[in-house]
Amino acid sequence: MSSPTPDLDTVDLSDRTFWGAPPEQRHAVYDQLRRERPFAFFAEPVIPYIEPGPGYHAVTRYADVEAISCRPALFSSGSGAVSIADMPPDLNEFYGSLISMDDPRHGKIRRIVAKAFTPRVLEDLVGNVQAVADDVVARARRTAEDGDGTIDVVADLAAPIPLRVICDMMGIPDDDRAMVLQQSNVILSGGDPELVQSEEQMVTAFLKAGEELAGLMARLAAERHAHPADDLTTALVSTEVDGERLTRQEIASFFILLLVAGNETTRNAISQGVLALSEHPAERDRWAADPGLTRTAVEEVVRWTSPITWMRRTATQDVELSGQSFPAGSKFLLFYGAANRDPAVFPDPHRFDLARDPNPHVGFGSRGPHFCLGAHLARREIGVAFRAFADQLPDLEVVGPPARLESSFVNGLKRLPARLTRCR
Amino acid sequence: MTRVVVDREVCMSAGVCEMEAPEVFRLDADGVLQVGEPTDLTAVETAVRACPTGALQLVD
Repeated sequence: MSSPTPDLDTVDLSDRTFWGAPPEQRHAVYDQLRRERPFAFFAEPVIPYIEPGPGYHAVTRYADVEAISCRPALFSSGSGAVSIADMPPDLNEFYGSLISMDDPRHGKIRRIVAKAFTPRVLEDLVGNVQAVADDVVARARRTAEDGDGTIDVVADLAAPIPLRVICDMMGIPDDDRAMVLQQSNVILSGGDPELVQSEEQMVTAFLKAGEELAGLMARLAAERHAHPADDLTTALVSTEVDGERLTRQEIASFFILLLVAGNETTRNAISQGVLALSEHPAERDRWAADPGLTRTAVEEVVRWTSPITWMRRTATQDVELSGQSFPAGSKFLLFYGAANRDPAVFPDPHRFDLARDPNPHVGFGSRGPHFCLGAHLARREIGVAFRAFADQLPDLEVVGPPARLESSFVNGLKRLPARLTRCR
Repeated sequence: MTRVVVDREVCMSAGVCEMEAPEVFRLDADGVLQVGEPTDLTAVETAVRACPTGALQLVD
């Protein structure tokens, strides 16, 4: 990497501005942490109204991420997987749903959800991914033609595809979709100043967003209960495992998880995939010429972008990792983007190689009970989206630097200016 | 004779195996994984490797 060697003593992964900087910088830090301080300790970021916790270890080596993920009894998710600070348990469960839950409850709910969310069920439900992608691409072209030839890759291409797919799957009415996008943005903003006006407002904005989404879901669940339809919401309200159904609260939480996790992650994989292709034109041309490359290319886009920066685990007892001891209660952030560039696993890890195979990346999480439930949906969306771009937007050209989300949790872009050069 | 063993405690019914080797793996209406005779060994090996929770094992 060309970035100068960072001074680890001045690096603070809890500082939001670190995450708004160009990715070369974070990868230079990851590389050095992985080599020199594989369990580097950081103080927790300050959040208004939340008691600061004891701090956390940044896990950057692939083998350690794997060792933690596959031992859920030792490394718990129940005290919070998506926040560094311990959140009140009810809030945690509401926003994190399955992500912030341990067995046996996690297993039970995941099986209910899985029943409504198997790849086979999805094949039927999301037969329209192609139609959605084609329509989004056509609209983007019209936007460019009606205007000055420019589009925003995030707003015009990357955001609408997963949003429409997930809303179609859930049966969300058209009128509610703008609200859904806006509120899921707030929940995953990580307090980015552009999306949340002040740090003090962060907690209240977050709560309000959750309330609005839960309200929509309560309304929808009641409707589907009375009038079943051919959608995921109907499956969720009617699915039983061992005679048990999801409660209203569980359905609302899962809905928020799906919306937020299903929208933002895929959106950021797509937008940063477009950016990566524009920075690697030879790879872009190679994929455009060879649709057969899609299987490995999708995996490489996910490895390269690692849309979720970390998930947290908490030691349930005194534990040992790679010969180091940690007391019960230690917090670990699993830095997936760092594991995904670990040279012990990926030859030439900073090379963007669409044919990379094998590619055992942990962009969907590492092996374990919390592996991304929507991985197959995401893979399909990304594959279909990039084929549609290659075939229908061959003149797409990134024309400016991206605006990065200042969030340590979501590796995201807010905007990416581009031009369709055939438009004028 | 090679067969597939499922760790029922670990299986999360993700259905990845069903995508890789649909002749052998099928999630039934209750979301419980049903496993048939491993006919196409290559596909089954891929499915075992792809299982996100590591619930599948090939034994002789």
